[in-house]
Amino acid sequence: MPLEGLFSDYKAGSFYDEMFSAPDEPRPHYSKIFQKLARMVPSQFEERRQHADLSFLLQGITFTVYSDGRGTERLFPFDLIPRIIPNSEWQRIDRGLAQRVVALNLFLQDVYGKQRIFADRQIPRSLVYSCNHFLREVIGIEVPRGIHTHICGIDLVRDSKTGEYCVLEDNVRTPSGISYVLENRAVMMRTFPDAFQACEVLPVNHYPAELARILRSLSPRGGGDAQIVLLTPGIYNSAYFEHSFLAQQMGIELVEGRDLIVDGGIVYMKTIHGLTRVDVIYKRVDDEFLDSLTFRRDSVLGVPGLMGAYRAGNVALANAVGNGVADDKAIYAYVPTFIRYYLGEDPILRSVETYLCSKREDLSYVLAHLSELVVKAVGESGGYGMLMGPTASRERIEEFRRQILADPRNYIAQPLVPLSRVPSYDPALGCIAGRHVDLRPYCLYDGENVTIVPGGLTRVALQEGSLVVNSSQGGGSKDTWVLRGED
Amino acid sequence: MLSRIAESLFWLSRYIERAEYTARILDVNFHTLLEQSKDRYRLRWEPLIVMAGEEERFRQIYAEADARAVFEFLAFRQDNPSSIMQCIAKARENARTIRDFISREMWEDLNGLYFMVNRFNPTEEMDAGPHRFCDAIRFGSHRFHGVTDATLPHDEGWEFLRIGWFIERAEMTARLVDVQYHHLYDTPEEIDGPDNHQWMAVLRSVGALEAYHRKYHSSIEPEKVAEMLIMHPLHPRSIRFSMTEVQSGLRAISGTGPGSYANEAERLTGKVLERLRYDRIEEIFKLGLHSYLKDMLGMCGSIGEDIARSYFYYAVVA
Repeated sequence: MPLEGLFSDYKAGSFYDEMFSAPDEPRPHYSKIFQKLARMVPSQFEERRQHADLSFLLQGITFTVYSDGRGTERLFPFDLIPRIIPNSEWQRIDRGLAQRVVALNLFLQDVYGKQRIFADRQIPRSLVYSCNHFLREVIGIEVPRGIHTHICGIDLVRDSKTGEYCVLEDNVRTPSGISYVLENRAVMMRTFPDAFQACEVLPVNHYPAELARILRSLSPRGGGDAQIVLLTPGIYNSAYFEHSFLAQQMGIELVEGRDLIVDGGIVYMKTIHGLTRVDVIYKRVDDEFLDSLTFRRDSVLGVPGLMGAYRAGNVALANAVGNGVADDKAIYAYVPTFIRYYLGEDPILRSVETYLCSKREDLSYVLAHLSELVVKAVGESGGYGMLMGPTASRERIEEFRRQILADPRNYIAQPLVPLSRVPSYDPALGCIAGRHVDLRPYCLYDGENVTIVPGGLTRVALQEGSLVVNSSQGGGSKDTWVLRGED
Repeated sequence: MLSRIAESLFWLSRYIERAEYTARILDVNFHTLLEQSKDRYRLRWEPLIVMAGEEERFRQIYAEADARAVFEFLAFRQDNPSSIMQCIAKARENARTIRDFISREMWEDLNGLYFMVNRFNPTEEMDAGPHRFCDAIRFGSHRFHGVTDATLPHDEGWEFLRIGWFIERAEMTARLVDVQYHHLYDTPEEIDGPDNHQWMAVLRSVGALEAYHRKYHSSIEPEKVAEMLIMHPLHPRSIRFSMTEVQSGLRAISGTGPGSYANEAERLTGKVLERLRYDRIEEIFKLGLHSYLKDMLGMCGSIGEDIARSYFYYAVVA
């Protein structure tokens, strides 16, 4: 079938294309949406696109760019063509993520507890202790119900070489983006109601209720009327929209550090009728800023004395403090080891091959192949501190070589993963073209079961040829559909 | 309810009210002057700056208080903290810090107002005159209150909105009467006596001209206008009406019944209302309208401060 209309110039290219199995040949799970899109003329599509943009703008679903000095608010670009995952494929992802979350939780319990894993020589103690985000201050703290990883955002990519999903990184500190998942869906249902009638898409909007249930279960005073709050750094934080959105959806208070006070080892919030005890804090403030008495002294975002209340078991925090160690990109290389060691299972989802520059043999390989590899600083996130070898200039490569040699422990390297592509609308070209995507599903863990809302956030690199999906670098997002069946 | 949320609600509606009031006065003043002689021009624009309490800042920027300068200053200037644009921006900023508390519709409405106001091109609007812009602000404010009334539970949070809204209104009305009276009546050597058109404009700016005619069945007399704007029990822009709203808001929050008070803000509000109920306009004029209104503004300031002391600020030693 020759492609028409919006797809007339579409080229699937050499990457794995999520929509087409061959040129002009949509995959079965994309066939219905493809037919709908192919029938639209560009002006109809453009009209729906503007409608969607307006609704994001009015709701203030924006992030702030400070570079121009005025704090301009920009929309997080939204692409109307969904990323679709057939049910069987999702089942496997779901099992793989659940396995990973449980293993990460056991690892965190262990390194901040009995530390069996060092005794059994599965990972060097020095590697763990040298992580920037390993916090000695929380060793020995017994967290409620043994849960460290209440909320995880695990980044997946599909490798075009193998067609297989693999894990790119774990985010078990304060993963953000779930609000976009829920808002994208809401806008999409308003913009393309007909498409939802044609395809059976699994719902996602139970996330806030499930998170609220887990948070409530952590209350040190037990059940019913636990006072739960979401701690935000405030309106200047780039994820502020998400903080207010989640607080509203869960019906809990959105608080800033200055709203809370610790007295006698108990956390209170300041209300118009006096102090009210707080039982559970969903913290969206980085650990380092949480308590100026324990961590950074210059922090005004946290609550002095909070760690004392946490240690005494008078308040629960989600996620647990100290999770950053599991996000370290050097630790990432050991997650398959954790799965085998703690669960006695083989990993369901593959990890990307990782070279640790702290290992001598890895280091010499990395230095010899810098122009082919992606180098990442272990403690960074959001696309910062990264070298994309294949596209980097000679100067930049040499700059990284010096940095790696100066501090090998701080760097890891991975082969460049050729990300799969999804057809996406390019407003400049006025047509649809293939753009690279990743996928961040959100996993909730209640100590027994892992609940994952079907799909997650699909981030898309809207610039032609770009592999960087971060919003600060021109990335956008898509609604992600997991189908009830296979097509 | 968190103290910080209560404080943001209080200021949110104060800023909206300030923006709306400023827009009303700008608009009406402009249109009244279209029929006036040129030599009165300056005299008629000064009071608006005095009312905003921004004479010094204004003089640093402009040589003369003409329509264009005053319109730009009160509507658009970024460096005038009480310009309409700044009020709307601050109202939205306050709403943003509590958007989990207010209804989604309130936020979307206010956010839409902010974007709409920012789309105005100041130069174009100054060429066209203030009507279009001021109308948009007035309707924006009405819509915000309508959406609030219809979508936010009428609980404590709603009461803080109401208190901020009406304490701002009481102060604005007091300043309006004070400034206009001062300029139109206390300086007979500059203007030949009280001016019906200007007083009519004052009434029109607060939407009270029709109500005035209904109540007094007479020509426009300054004393009666003052009486109406200060003491009318039911006109929604009179000081008395506004303070009654403040009082019921405060009582709803503290649970206090009539005849007693739970804090200094309630005591002062009660005291102000006693005067507004039992004073006669002749007595007020005998004592001096200016000092009466100055006194009232002082009390409103103290009420605001005590609301902050009672509900917003904590002096807890941990």
